[in-house]
Amino acid sequence: MRHTNNPNETTSVRQIIPSTLAQHRLLVFCILLSVCGAVLTALVPPLVLGRIIDTLTLGTMPSLFLVLLYFAMLALTGLLESAREGLLTICGQQITHSLRSRLMAKFVRLSAEELNRQEPGAVVSRFVGDVDTVENLFTSGIISMFADACKILSILTLIWFRNKGLALIFLLLLPLLFFFTRHVQKNMLSAQIENRKAVSRASAHVPETLHNIRTIHTLGKERYMEQQYDRYIGDSYRAMERTNFYDAVYSPVILILNAVVVALVMLLSASGNPRALTLFGMSAGTAVAVMNYISQIFSPVESLGMEIQTIQSAVAGIHRIQEFFGLQEKEPSPSTTPDSGAFAESGTMDSCAGTQTPSDAPFVEFRDVTFSYDDDKLVLSHLNLTVESGDQLTLLGRTGVGKSTVFKLLLGLYRPDSGQMLIHGVPADSIPEDARRKLFGYVEQSFHPVPGTVREQITLFDPSISDDAVQKVAELTELADTISRLDLGYDTPCSPELFSQGQWQLLSIARAAASDPELLLLDEITANLDAETEQHVLRALRRVSKNRTVLSISHRTSAEFGRSYSLRS
Amino acid sequence: MQRKGRKAMNMKKRFRSDRVLCYFQTEWKVLLAVTLSGLIYNLGLLAGPWFEGEMAACLIDILNGDRFFSDMLALVLAYVCAIGVVQFSRYIKRFYVRRFANNVNRRMKHILYGSLVQKSRRTLSEEGAGNVMTKAILDVDDCAECMRKFTTEIFDTGVALLAYAAMLLFYDWRLALISMIFPPVSYAIAEKMKGIVQRTGAAFKEQSGVLSAATLDRATNAVTYRVFGCEQERSAAYEENLSAYERSAVRANIWNASLPPIYRIISMAALVFILYFGGRNVLGQGWTAWDIAAFTTFVSCFTRLAVKSSSAAKLFNAVHKAQVSWQRIRPLMYAPETPGTPETGAPASLTVQGLGFAYPGNETLFSQVSFDAKPGQFIGVTGPVACGKSSLGRAFLCEYPYEGCIRLGDRELSEMDERTRLGEIGYLGHDPELFNDTIEHNVLMGDKGDAWKYLRLVCLDEEIKKMPEGIHTLVGNGGVRLSGGQAQRLALARTLCHKKPLLILDDPFSALDRNTERKIFENLKTYAADSVVLLIFHRLYLFPEMEQVIWLKDGQAVMGSHEEVKETVPEYATYK
Repeated sequence: MRHTNNPNETTSVRQIIPSTLAQHRLLVFCILLSVCGAVLTALVPPLVLGRIIDTLTLGTMPSLFLVLLYFAMLALTGLLESAREGLLTICGQQITHSLRSRLMAKFVRLSAEELNRQEPGAVVSRFVGDVDTVENLFTSGIISMFADACKILSILTLIWFRNKGLALIFLLLLPLLFFFTRHVQKNMLSAQIENRKAVSRASAHVPETLHNIRTIHTLGKERYMEQQYDRYIGDSYRAMERTNFYDAVYSPVILILNAVVVALVMLLSASGNPRALTLFGMSAGTAVAVMNYISQIFSPVESLGMEIQTIQSAVAGIHRIQEFFGLQEKEPSPSTTPDSGAFAESGTMDSCAGTQTPSDAPFVEFRDVTFSYDDDKLVLSHLNLTVESGDQLTLLGRTGVGKSTVFKLLLGLYRPDSGQMLIHGVPADSIPEDARRKLFGYVEQSFHPVPGTVREQITLFDPSISDDAVQKVAELTELADTISRLDLGYDTPCSPELFSQGQWQLLSIARAAASDPELLLLDEITANLDAETEQHVLRALRRVSKNRTVLSISHRTSAEFGRSYSLRS
Repeated sequence: MQRKGRKAMNMKKRFRSDRVLCYFQTEWKVLLAVTLSGLIYNLGLLAGPWFEGEMAACLIDILNGDRFFSDMLALVLAYVCAIGVVQFSRYIKRFYVRRFANNVNRRMKHILYGSLVQKSRRTLSEEGAGNVMTKAILDVDDCAECMRKFTTEIFDTGVALLAYAAMLLFYDWRLALISMIFPPVSYAIAEKMKGIVQRTGAAFKEQSGVLSAATLDRATNAVTYRVFGCEQERSAAYEENLSAYERSAVRANIWNASLPPIYRIISMAALVFILYFGGRNVLGQGWTAWDIAAFTTFVSCFTRLAVKSSSAAKLFNAVHKAQVSWQRIRPLMYAPETPGTPETGAPASLTVQGLGFAYPGNETLFSQVSFDAKPGQFIGVTGPVACGKSSLGRAFLCEYPYEGCIRLGDRELSEMDERTRLGEIGYLGHDPELFNDTIEHNVLMGDKGDAWKYLRLVCLDEEIKKMPEGIHTLVGNGGVRLSGGQAQRLALARTLCHKKPLLILDDPFSALDRNTERKIFENLKTYAADSVVLLIFHRLYLFPEMEQVIWLKDGQAVMGSHEEVKETVPEYATYK
């Protein structure tokens, strides 16, 4: 069940990338074409230049064709590179888009435990940061690595035909060069990491100072703190000097090496030694072309090192994404969709697994429910509880007795270990999403604002809730006046200072009542309110609960609704 | 009056840290190294193309038998040496330019921090100066980075371009002029396109902000959306965010990545003319007589000029950016010298008369509090939640003006010089305000002495001995690696290490069990025998041992011994 063929459920980066690429064959083809094309066309200009010089040496004017060919090849290389960059961007974005879609699909399938365990900041860095590294892996990692490898190989091949000796020198030199490059880059990276640590220590010192300013002043430790700050900056400064050293030393070394190779080749081809000449002999034109190639071969080696680094960090990113894909999913509900579909259409219910007919099934029924979270402690044991339509019931009990768990089971977030949790005779976790909002209105203990306007706080972006309905619940909760006094009324963007704590709680009730649900669930709603606000909130609640089934939980008897039921462990 | 003051301050500033030139002046040695090596490097860059031309020509001569191997050897050695010198200068230049930026960065941050740490708590938290300063410190990075780029580009772009242009002009001024038309053309086009590049770039940045916010919303409100059955609908909305992000990313990156090769093509168009007219020059039919060496040098020199000219824009951008961030931090770049630790005052008795306090613009919290105490006496303060007992403690800090008088010996607290007052009063609030440093540093705060002594006083020594790194354990940001009780005791140890004639401790034992509390209290009584100690508490069982008790409620204070207060205030008696 967990590994279906539904493309939305693919849960591996290794599958997602190829399948995305397969959907865009033409794009991939064009990328390959432009990559190889740019490598090949870049080889031509030095050859043409060599020919021009040789012609000039002979005392004749090179043809205009040669001159134009030289420029045309330069231009073509530029155009192909430009096309490659553009196409790579498009392709990279396709990949990130589909990766993020799949990640979100996975997020929706996560079990409630996992959902609670996810730290929001970490989720964002998975979805945004880590996916970007995958894009880099593709655009500036693998593809450019391929391009650079091709460049090196093609230049080597060409040199082989022009100057075998030089090709041999390069074959010896390139591995050394490569290791030198990696050495420098590794050291640079470690120095950068050290620097970043030191920098973050130094920058954390500022908010810390602001936070502890009273202690600093009463102890008179301003100078000590300043010295500490200087020390932290000093640490980052030293780490920075190290990066600076490597940064500054690399290209000079490479360019000196470049000069030495050029010098060596010139020397050997001028040596007049017949054996050296078989390997190094060349015309002046070839010499110019060869010098040109020599300087061309060094830059791909440098990029190759950077690409390895990109790939390394991308691999770490992929690893984290894979971990996310491996998280536990909610169990697929035993009932099949058609049954639940019927639920959505009729509002009431044809039974699927239950034995009762819809007419006599109670609204909510806990049938011998036993439940424990992952950490084995039994929370509910053999709970039997029935709530009929129109009932108003308060569950009372001390903290930790499992009141909130009752709601979590009722809302279908968790499934009982044994027994049945039925709504209109249907297991709670198999109620389809679109039927939920008509069924439950859940007033949470504290309000969870969503980014958006006041209206969207109430509708939760649900387009099916009309403006009239929003207006109506605002009036029921006595918020209508407050909201209409805002600059933009219902379209005012929400910010924390817009409402008082009590008003946020009222908004929470409005949210729950907006879709006119059959069952209202109230979770310790007056826990954090002062007496006056509490009265206000309770008044609104009474109005909203009229003609509804209400189930509330509380650890105090004062906030009771209808009859009460004591929950004991 | 105020204007005059500001003027005086401006005068003072002028000699100090708010002038960019000052930073360049103080770094003159580093900058001299940069200038010399930069000139050698950039002028020396011409050596490369020249030698390449000469070597090619020499090879022809050798092949024709006009010159010999030894000529080539000399040439080649000279070439390698020249490149060596040039590249060494390059290394020096790069390294010192960065050192210059580092030094500037360090100095600016030092000044800003010095000014921050001396600002009052009131200015920092209530008037938002804290945020301004924090941002300014971030701006320093930008500013120093831009100063670095500016210094780099002056040599790498400015000097190098001039040198290349001069060389081209020297070889054949007519051809040089023709070929130098093209790079500016490509530069002008790049300027034209800059608008769209920046626009799409900004749109992309905005979209990525939107995407992060949407992701954060989905992650934060996941359970709410699930409970309300909105998950599918939110996922569809997220998909729209993704598409918008993709579109803007493609647009921005395409403009950004695919244009530079095009600019290069435009600059390189000049090569057609160079090859053609240069060829005529070599054959003696052109404007100037050239040999092959001149021809090669000219071609490679121009190629480098074309590449360099594309970074000319960077020079101007760097100047502009540095100016913007400098303007933001400049007004803050003033710090008087940071004072050292104040001298601890001599033991003195405390007299409080008619003390009242209100936060500016708010109702009076309490009034008419009077008591006096001799060194070694302990005074307990208590009352219901929000009765103002913590504010009573803070009134002694003189963060805000108070009513009535507080005298230490015969000196009024509010009339003391600030540094003297700091030497008289020790304060520990609810928040332990620990620093992300070792336990030892948190106690001593840079003073010399034995931290263990104070850790023993607060009964923390045993626990710390058990930690693998002992007294050198890092406590983490705000002390997160310690338990609440450990953090509280560590803060108390710090306050005791800096013992003052008057110690104010606001609920210092709230996270401790009774046994430990009593033990520390006993230690405190011996250790602070020459100080007046004001203990603010919400648990009362230590109160029978206080010399005096103050009960605060509804702005009214009742003072007396434990027994007296117990009799007059029935509510006090119910406290435990």
